Amino acid sequence: MLKRLFALTKAGIQESLYFRLGTFVTLFANLIYLVLVYFLWKSIYASAGTDIVNGMSFTDTMIYLILATALFNFLEMYVVWDMSRSIQSGKIILDLLKPMKFKTYTFWSYSGSHVIMFFLTFIPTFIVVMIVTKGAIPMGINLLYFVISVILALVVNFHIEMLVATLCLYTESTWGINIVKETIVLLLSGASIPLAFFPEAFRKVVSVLPFRAVYDVPLTILLRKEGADNLSGVLTFCGFQAAWALALILASTLFWNFSVKKITVNGG
Amino acid sequence: MSDKKRDIGFYLSIYRKILIQDLKSKMSYRADFIISTFGMILTNLSGFITFMILFRNFPSINGWDYHHMLFLYGFALVSLTPVQCFFDNNWNLRFHVRTGDFIKYCFRPINVFFYFMSEVFDIKGLGQLAFGIGTLIYAWSHIGLEVTFGSICLMMLYLVTASLFMIAIMNFAAATAFWMEGSGNVMVIMFRFKDYARYPASIFNKIFRVIFTFIIPIAFVAYYPSLAILDPSEAPVMIGIAPIFGILFFFLSYKFWMRGVRRYDFTGS
Repeated sequence: MLKRLFALTKAGIQESLYFRLGTFVTLFANLIYLVLVYFLWKSIYASAGTDIVNGMSFTDTMIYLILATALFNFLEMYVVWDMSRSIQSGKIILDLLKPMKFKTYTFWSYSGSHVIMFFLTFIPTFIVVMIVTKGAIPMGINLLYFVISVILALVVNFHIEMLVATLCLYTESTWGINIVKETIVLLLSGASIPLAFFPEAFRKVVSVLPFRAVYDVPLTILLRKEGADNLSGVLTFCGFQAAWALALILASTLFWNFSVKKITVNGG
Repeated sequence: MSDKKRDIGFYLSIYRKILIQDLKSKMSYRADFIISTFGMILTNLSGFITFMILFRNFPSINGWDYHHMLFLYGFALVSLTPVQCFFDNNWNLRFHVRTGDFIKYCFRPINVFFYFMSEVFDIKGLGQLAFGIGTLIYAWSHIGLEVTFGSICLMMLYLVTASLFMIAIMNFAAATAFWMEGSGNVMVIMFRFKDYARYPASIFNKIFRVIFTFIIPIAFVAYYPSLAILDPSEAPVMIGIAPIFGILFFFLSYKFWMRGVRRYDFTGS
């Protein structure tokens, strides 16, 4: 079983290496984008008059936002896009006929590009941030916790994608559903503005939703903020992620099994 | 843009016909239409929420206070509407070119650029327009700017100019599809840059200011024109001739685009 799954990973790696130009353009674009983020927040903090706002210093904010962008690129999946395209073309039937559960197949076909993106975007960004901020990222056991947390984030993210992609079976909508999902996830996960800046009431609501499990929790653990500086704090955070991961696995599996029976394919 | 042999009325009537067909076909996917509209409103709302949260924590950005920043924000929203509404088909260009579908546009006895762009009218952009105008009016009244015939005209002129710059940027980005694979990335980058149009260009260092003024002129999408209206003494002198630049830049992007079309003919694929 594992061998079959890793074969999918390998195929994914080869596929993403084939589109090298695209990958490099993306890398370059991200670099410029990060520079813009840097200038923006630098001037924001310069105008603030104080060094620390809501417990976040400029360096904290930068690390948070840059790594959130890097995580975003690494975790990004196009399950919704692919699903809607294969519904329209009828290709989805072929995927459903494969001797493997559809969800398992999808998850592992994406794993290859995750591996590539991890090494090509996340690791370089991480090293650059580490050097530029001269040790503002705590180095120690938190790195291990961070990796565990990222894997949980990946699972949560995938199942949010799966839930939304299943919706596509009903609506035949692509652009709309995708933009709704992306907007909600980006805003409520803290990827566009750190959750620490949110108003108290809003933050309370957001902190129990699954979206923060994708970006905010791994970064909080990495930076040892909000009680993540000891084992029990980390366990609480990872427990939060794991609980949402389980809930979402359950929900997306049930929803998918229910919906796939109603699938209508035009032609194909 | 118009062919010398045919007047603008001819093109307008064609545009109207194609527009009606496009809207009809969109309406037939009603669920998608509703969700997309909702999505567009949500993106705008999310942008606003981010903006509000930012200003809850920080009183100003580089000397721009809340209302001035709102003005900039609203200006950017309005000036980005035409590119969203009328030139959205640029996003599909690369698919048409790759599959060879594009050839169909070359067989019509009308301007290829016009025909291609007229095929899609993105109605969602109108929501953005409403958001933008609302924001502009709100900011305008809070800053205490005068409302005169002259200021409204100036505002219109600058909005049109700003739109031309953004349309031209996207034309250039989309037309790269005629030369290279992966032009989608170029478009995505440019589209991401536009998010920075709503911040004062003065926050960047010299290199980026030059880039955003002369190479990828997103500073013209909102910053320079807003400055010219809010604080004319601070604005660079060249803003006076920005409309000419805008037209020129648009024309160049059109030429570049059409050059790509000719190249496409040559390959005969």
